[in-house]
Amino acid sequence: MRFVAIFKAVTKNWLRSRTGLFFSIMFPIMMLFIFGSIFGGSNYVPTMTAAFIMTNGIIGLTSTNTEFKRRGIIRRLSITPLRKMDWVIGCILSQTLLNLLLTGIMIGIGWGAFGIRVIPDPLMILMIFLGSVMFSGIGMALSGSIKDVEAASAIGNVISYPMMFLSGVFVPLSIMPTTLQLISRFIPLTYFSDGLKASIITKSMGSILMNMGVVAALAVVFIIIGVLVTRWKEK
Amino acid sequence: MLEVQVQDLVKHYDDTTAVDGISFNVDKGEVFAFLGPNGAGKTTTVEILECLRSLSKGSALVCGYDITKDKDVEEIKKNIGVLPQDFNALDKLTVKENIELIADMYDKHLKIEDVIKLLNLEDKANSKFENLSGGLKQRVGIAAALVSDPKLVFLDEPTTGLDPKARRDVWDVLANLKKIGKTVFLTTHYMEEAQVLATRIAIVNKGKIAAMGSPQELIDEYGGLKILIIRKADENLAKKLGDKFEHVTMNSNGDIHIKIDNTDELYSIMSLLTAMKAEKDIEIQTPTLEDVFLKITGSKIRRRAKQNEVRSNL
Repeated sequence: MRFVAIFKAVTKNWLRSRTGLFFSIMFPIMMLFIFGSIFGGSNYVPTMTAAFIMTNGIIGLTSTNTEFKRRGIIRRLSITPLRKMDWVIGCILSQTLLNLLLTGIMIGIGWGAFGIRVIPDPLMILMIFLGSVMFSGIGMALSGSIKDVEAASAIGNVISYPMMFLSGVFVPLSIMPTTLQLISRFIPLTYFSDGLKASIITKSMGSILMNMGVVAALAVVFIIIGVLVTRWKEK
Repeated sequence: MLEVQVQDLVKHYDDTTAVDGISFNVDKGEVFAFLGPNGAGKTTTVEILECLRSLSKGSALVCGYDITKDKDVEEIKKNIGVLPQDFNALDKLTVKENIELIADMYDKHLKIEDVIKLLNLEDKANSKFENLSGGLKQRVGIAAALVSDPKLVFLDEPTTGLDPKARRDVWDVLANLKKIGKTVFLTTHYMEEAQVLATRIAIVNKGKIAAMGSPQELIDEYGGLKILIIRKADENLAKKLGDKFEHVTMNSNGDIHIKIDNTDELYSIMSLLTAMKAEKDIEIQTPTLEDVFLKITGSKIRRRAKQNEVRSNL
């Protein structure tokens, strides 16, 4: 149960980093307002939320973790009986808590500003949870294999921005060329974004379950990769 | 009982050899110090023993467990406490929370309050780590190393970059560890630190152990002769002494230096001075570890160490 201690410590650490926390919540809200006011809000609540859960995992967690690595914090923990799995799970759960908080705020804004009447149900929460675990897993996998902080955020950007455009977050997939539509099927964000859209807006059970299945499977894969690439011992 | 047994340990990094076939043991209850300049292979050796790095050749047992076997590594981790070089903790957590985090990694641990008290950190227990001075941060690191009540404590350069006051504070804590009988493995490039704290010292240079023994044994064997200094003497006196004794020199300040072989020689110099009624300032310099190091490696440790000291302690 050591992951609980890791979860608590890492969570307290970001909760107290007020500036970082403020902007990581303000940025998505701002983007939601911009896109929502231009194109109409309802679809952007789930897709924007999905996009920011992705960037929080791939850019945010990757940088935080590489910073931990640079400062020797992971190394200090690796000398204790802590197992890599507990470390990875603790960090992922902490990031997931942040994402649940963010989703709550985004839905609240959707409610207030764009007239979306959603009451979070268990399937929706599970969807957000799994999506967040998946992207945080990618974050852990990346930070396990990257050494310096600058490279981490650069690589995070390179991976997440194309994903954002190719998964229908900003522009609907239906207006994209067929090649791009095909590519979008290979992007994890597509499934998460579609699943979230289904669980928040369309409530189509088939779509929820199919997308959730893909996201859950990918989440497991990335956690395993995350554990495998995290190094407890140097050469 | 031996807490550390190292046999012919070798570590290569690509084309350099950081540790070049060293062997030593650390006994239970000892404060064992690796003393040497930066780049001598001290940290590499302790990191191998802490199971943070792999070894290239040789063998090592820590607390009776083999560092190359995965099952044994788990046992080693339960039994050791470590202050790594450049220790850091989570910035936004308090001193207490950071120590607690490390404590939570073990099945059994000491009371956090007791460890905080042992390190004199009571006043700072609820301060955030980011707001601490260098010396306090090191003390948090030592607290974290002790909280699991380990059999063996590794302290890698515990006072590098600290100001003299903070350094003495850390020494006090380490002296306490010695008193309560903890086995400590220390690395340092400060002569004085090794001399004050260690029961046994291995002088490490270029990946090899150049000499090993208690501070006194090392000084006796390699330190050379004691020197008697007579301040502001005249050439006449120097000449008279020179006639009777070997190794008499005079420097430009007018100080006479006489290397003394044994106590008898010292007494006869003193009685000669008394007979001559030469009322002079007299001082006896005993060799230090610095002299030992100079003799063994042919270079001074301090000059090199200072160049590498860039960490601020404010």
